[in-house]
Amino acid sequence: MALKISGLSKTYPNGVKALKNLTLTIGNNMFGLLGPNGAGKSTLMRTVATLQDPDSGEIWLDEINVLKQKNEVRKLLGYLPQEFGVYPKMNAIDMLQHLAVMKGITSKGERKEMVEALLQQTNLWNARKKALSGYSGGMKQRFGIAQALLANPKLIIVDEPTAGLDPAERNRFLNLLSSIGRNVTVILSTHIVEDVRELCPRMAIISNGELLLEGAPSETLHALHAKVWTKVVASDAELQALAAGFNVISTHLVGGLHEVRIFSESDPGEGFKSIEPGLEDVYFLNLFKQQTVN
Amino acid sequence: MFWEFFSFEIKFRLKSISTYVYFLLWCLLNFLSVAAQDFGPVGNGKVLLNGPWSISYFNIIDGVYGIIIIAAIFGTSILRDFQRDTYQLLFTKPISKFAYLGGRWAGSFVATVAAYTGIPVGVFLGTLAPWADHSRIATGHPWWYVQPFLSITVVQIFFLGSLFFCVAALTRKIFIVYLQGVALFMIYIIGLTVFTATRSLEHFWSAILDPVGIMLSDSVTRYWTVAEKNTLLFPWSGVFLINRLLWGGIGVAALGLVWALFPMSVEALTAKASGKRAAGRKTTEDDDIRPVRSLVAARLPKVTQVFGNATGWAQLVSLTRIRISYILHEIPFWAIVVLLIAFAINNGYYAGKVGGENVWPVTYLMVQAVEGSATLFFYIVATLYAAELIWRDRDTHFDGIHDSLPMRDGADWISKLLALCFVEVSLLFLTMICGVFMQTIAGYYHYELGEYFKELFVVTFPQVLVFSLMAMFVQTVVSNKFIGHGIVIGVFILEPVLFRYGFENTLYLPGQTPPYIYSDMNGYGHFVPALFWSITYWLAITALLGVISIALARRGSDDSWPARFRLAGQRMPRLLPAAILFLCIAAASGTWYFWNAHVLNEFQTAQIRRDIQADYERSFKKYEKLPQPKIIDVDTRINIYPERRSFDGSGYFVLQNKTAEAISQIHITDSRQSVREIGFDRPFHEVSKSPRGLYTIYALDQPLKPGETMKMNFRVGYESHGFKDGSERPEFAYNGTFFDSDYFPAIGYSRDVELGDPLRRKEEKLPALEEMAPRGDPYYQTVNLFSAQSDWISYHTVVSTSSDQIAISPGYLSKSWEENGRRYFEYSMGSTKMADFFSFLSGRYAIKRDRWNNVNLEIYYLPGHEFDLDDMMASAKAGLAYYERNFGPYQFRQFRIMEFPRYRSFAQSFPNTVPYSEGIGFIGRVANPDDIDFTYFVTAHELGHQWWGHQLIGGQVIGSNMMSETLAEYSALEVMEKKYGADQMHKFLRHELDTYLRGRAGEIRKEPPLTLVQREPYVWYQKGGLVMYTLANYIGEDRVNAALKKFLRQYSYANASDSRSGAYPDTRQFVAALREETPPEMQYLITDMFESIVLYDNKALSATVTQMPDKKYKVTLTVQARKAKADGNGNETQMALNDYIDIGVFSGKKDHEQPLYLKKEKLTQEKQTFSIVVDQIPTRAGIDPYNKLVDRVADDNMIDVTKQ
Repeated sequence: MALKISGLSKTYPNGVKALKNLTLTIGNNMFGLLGPNGAGKSTLMRTVATLQDPDSGEIWLDEINVLKQKNEVRKLLGYLPQEFGVYPKMNAIDMLQHLAVMKGITSKGERKEMVEALLQQTNLWNARKKALSGYSGGMKQRFGIAQALLANPKLIIVDEPTAGLDPAERNRFLNLLSSIGRNVTVILSTHIVEDVRELCPRMAIISNGELLLEGAPSETLHALHAKVWTKVVASDAELQALAAGFNVISTHLVGGLHEVRIFSESDPGEGFKSIEPGLEDVYFLNLFKQQTVN
Repeated sequence: MFWEFFSFEIKFRLKSISTYVYFLLWCLLNFLSVAAQDFGPVGNGKVLLNGPWSISYFNIIDGVYGIIIIAAIFGTSILRDFQRDTYQLLFTKPISKFAYLGGRWAGSFVATVAAYTGIPVGVFLGTLAPWADHSRIATGHPWWYVQPFLSITVVQIFFLGSLFFCVAALTRKIFIVYLQGVALFMIYIIGLTVFTATRSLEHFWSAILDPVGIMLSDSVTRYWTVAEKNTLLFPWSGVFLINRLLWGGIGVAALGLVWALFPMSVEALTAKASGKRAAGRKTTEDDDIRPVRSLVAARLPKVTQVFGNATGWAQLVSLTRIRISYILHEIPFWAIVVLLIAFAINNGYYAGKVGGENVWPVTYLMVQAVEGSATLFFYIVATLYAAELIWRDRDTHFDGIHDSLPMRDGADWISKLLALCFVEVSLLFLTMICGVFMQTIAGYYHYELGEYFKELFVVTFPQVLVFSLMAMFVQTVVSNKFIGHGIVIGVFILEPVLFRYGFENTLYLPGQTPPYIYSDMNGYGHFVPALFWSITYWLAITALLGVISIALARRGSDDSWPARFRLAGQRMPRLLPAAILFLCIAAASGTWYFWNAHVLNEFQTAQIRRDIQADYERSFKKYEKLPQPKIIDVDTRINIYPERRSFDGSGYFVLQNKTAEAISQIHITDSRQSVREIGFDRPFHEVSKSPRGLYTIYALDQPLKPGETMKMNFRVGYESHGFKDGSERPEFAYNGTFFDSDYFPAIGYSRDVELGDPLRRKEEKLPALEEMAPRGDPYYQTVNLFSAQSDWISYHTVVSTSSDQIAISPGYLSKSWEENGRRYFEYSMGSTKMADFFSFLSGRYAIKRDRWNNVNLEIYYLPGHEFDLDDMMASAKAGLAYYERNFGPYQFRQFRIMEFPRYRSFAQSFPNTVPYSEGIGFIGRVANPDDIDFTYFVTAHELGHQWWGHQLIGGQVIGSNMMSETLAEYSALEVMEKKYGADQMHKFLRHELDTYLRGRAGEIRKEPPLTLVQREPYVWYQKGGLVMYTLANYIGEDRVNAALKKFLRQYSYANASDSRSGAYPDTRQFVAALREETPPEMQYLITDMFESIVLYDNKALSATVTQMPDKKYKVTLTVQARKAKADGNGNETQMALNDYIDIGVFSGKKDHEQPLYLKKEKLTQEKQTFSIVVDQIPTRAGIDPYNKLVDRVADDNMIDVTKQ
């Protein structure tokens, strides 16, 4: 399946332009959507998940007009919103059963099998009869993942799915996602660059409602090859000076010193060493570029 | 520190809007109570609206509803720290218990008192309203505002607040605080029902234990007259003081308790408060840290998705189930269920008590009892859960997942409706179970499940559904749950208010249905069509709102109106057919309703009906004393069509000119609009006819000469068309038609049409209601008290009805036959004259017959209502025996009782014919020896009227009513005493005394002495019966009966055969007859009891006993006696005492005393001591122990005898 988004714009009543003429094609695979908070990721996700309409633009999922044939999309959809709650006094198994019915799994046997498999996969089996209100943040997130994967969805939209998961759980989830990610369109929205690098054959960076970059992580890394330099400085004053003279991608505190990364086509000298670019550099650099353009 | 907490609390309350809402609420309620007297609890009359009693009463009534406000302020003040988890910050700081608890408590107290000042402020503002009734507003004394506020409201805030504060601080759960508030409220209401349903005369403990004050107020002021209500505040003494001290003490105790038990450490607080929550959290964390670490995810199984109608249905079922499960997991819901059951069981227990009478809890009474209390809960559940269901996905933030599920747009909304319906149906079913259960408990096993089903599921459920749909619509449309609640509750409250102010149209009052009454005789009878169509109409309208709700239902994250309208536009094509269908049904049923209620029948609001009455009085009062002929003979042919609720007929009156001058105009009042044609046996023409034909004047071409008679022919009829919007005429029913001479032309101006209520008269700009004429008034002394248009008549009628019914009218049945599928009955009174007071009844009756000497006794009753027949027969026989022996012969050869539907609740004595409502008889049940046998009493009373009212009739002047009602009451009391004994009578008369004293306290004009009574039933029934019975006790039953017999012989059938109307007797002759038989030293009784309003204050002060050498006992009894005369407003002046009063000594326990000594002693001093020697050990002694005298404090007349 392929998702074609073209010319999507959305302005909220309070004047915030969440999407600005966004065009994007997402193929039949895991697609990482990177962007800072407030970039318009969630707006885009909710729009694709049929929860709100854009002001203009079109979205096609193969032959389905997403904005018009919402119910057709919903049949294929598995959606994990960024923030969601649960019905406090229900337990996981009843809730999943209910959602399975809602997703059209009419065979009782299939329903049971699927719900149990998901409970196992998300490691909620032991807590399946507990009230959802008693779940911890991670458990709740896992429940959210389980419900999104019911009914073998063809389009999976997961908005910040690994927030609140411990490293082991995150790992499990990403494994689960990649194992079903074949022949399925998965949009993974995140601000954690690692997630994308590990999973997504293709990615996009959006910020302020605009598409900054689209491509395979490896391609984008390749483009930056030998263009990222680093240096360690001790004081804020030095840092300020560097920021004035170079394209600073990021700074990190390492052992009380500032490690500065800059972008430069050629060797900037001044003690900078070349360093292998990471996806994070791509991300920050694109954001930085956008800021300077604006 | 104290000040910090205190000022923080005050500031918090000053900042929160609720404080101002409470203040404004009290302000508004009390403003309206004064400014719009219709609204307030004081009611009509002369009691000052800002008088001391009224203000005290406002404080008490507001106190009932204020419980929840006090709970909200005090409870939350301490819980706030625990709800917001700030306690962890607080209790780690060095603060003292006094500062924390004291500051919070005192701050809440001051804030609550401040909010409650809305009560006096509101009252005061009310007095300034220009439109208020300023004749009932005094220049208020400031103390009238302050004292009730301090002694009622502030004390209540103190102890209830302390109690709530204590519970909140110790449990730290808001739920328990509210539960406590609700439980208190519930216990209180239950206590009130018990108190009123058992007609308890207990006023000490009930008053002292009353935390809110309704029973306390009743105890203190129940007999207060207008004069007292306008001058007296609740005295800081007696039960009021004890009550305030007791509850104040409980408040102090609660504070002590919280001081002693509240732990000031986080550890202790959390251990108790959130122990369970913490435990729960811990276990989930345990689960969290043992994940099964398989790093490779297994593949998920393949499933097939099917979407179609079957899936749509399965989705709906699953959604509905999940929403039902949600409600069933709610604690408030179960609290409501428990309350519903508690109320239903409590009310069901008293279903078999109707006005103090014990009856069988037949199904309609039981349904009424259990449903009556449950209805409010149905609506609360609808209001509450309509909102919760609509908002739930949003409130729990599940909407993101939920809204992107592949379901149809309607499914979600419909599932919410279905869940609400399921819950409501369950509650209705529960109500039914409670009813059946309570019938079983009461030993009544004739469960009419069909009637339960019809009432609960066919009549009530659709109305609840209408309300639910409305609430769901509101919640769907508004942007905030609480705004929605405000609107829904507003609609609920507004409707009765609108109705009260004349907006009575069912078609525009949301969810309104016209009133109906179920009757065993008729079932839902003629109310069915109006109910059906109004319910259909509102169901269709609210279903349309439901369709609109589905269109506008939120789905997705964009809540803006443009987005919702866009969504609605997309949904509309699917919804349009349903919308059009409902619109058509609404339009069609509304049109049909309108056609019936407004076109076929004239739509009249209460205001319009009053306007008609007022116009009549204004236009025609001038003809009041116009000489008119009297009816001396009535002959009619009446056809009753029960299946059409109609009748028609024709007949003639023979009119005789009994005046001294020729009469050339005949005036006819047609108050029921049932007269179709009038003619005379001589040439005449119509002079004028008022709108609606209410008053028509005919001129005779040849005047009717004095003494001359003529025939007046008429055609009458009443046709029911379709149905009305309420105010269906109760006279016409499919089974149990009962109408009387009202439906026939009345000669001359009829004072019965005049408006009586002083307030309504004022609204209509009519002068005060004209008093009845004084005794000896030259015109009115010649007018028959009951029918101004006649003296006595001969009577003959042929009445027909449908073939399955029996028709009855006064007279002896001379012939009955069938013709053209109808049954005909010919009744004739022969040569026996009777009062011009006749009726027609028709019903599917069974008949019970008996005989007493040569009198035929018959009871026409509904098969199934056999409970009371023997009792009625026994009463009729005993009555006939007693009345014939003591008063004179019975003038008829038959006495008949016939049942009619409970649309009206009375029994009425027509000549030898007593229609008796199924609402007050036929299902009586005398279970305990202490029960009062009302059926026996009422039957004897109505039979008594055959003498007092059908032999003796007074003139239409003041006092005359007592000669029928008081004497019938007295007759019945004597018959009752013969069967049940003097002791039972004592109990009965205590209630008569209570009713009389309450009646005079509620008098809205002025109280007359018995012999000057005009329209005061509590005087002619309760006081009259009591004083006649007392007189018989003082001078002897024989002497009273001798006086009555002589009086009756002299004045019975006054004006029966004269060709000129002379004077009817009045109470002057009656009093003279009594005085004649009364010994000189007892004459004062007649003066006091009959001709004045005299009240005693008798009291036993002390009683001691010593055993004497001869094994006898000497009792030393000190008593107090006072006597005062009251005027019509209740102002009292002390009188010198020179009275005979019973002094008695008794053995046995309280309320089961046996007399050892009883003698009338002449008392002349306020305090007197008696030494009495008796044979057995005495236990009780006192003055006027049987409450024969009118005494406002009746239960202090006796005292326990103590050993010296």
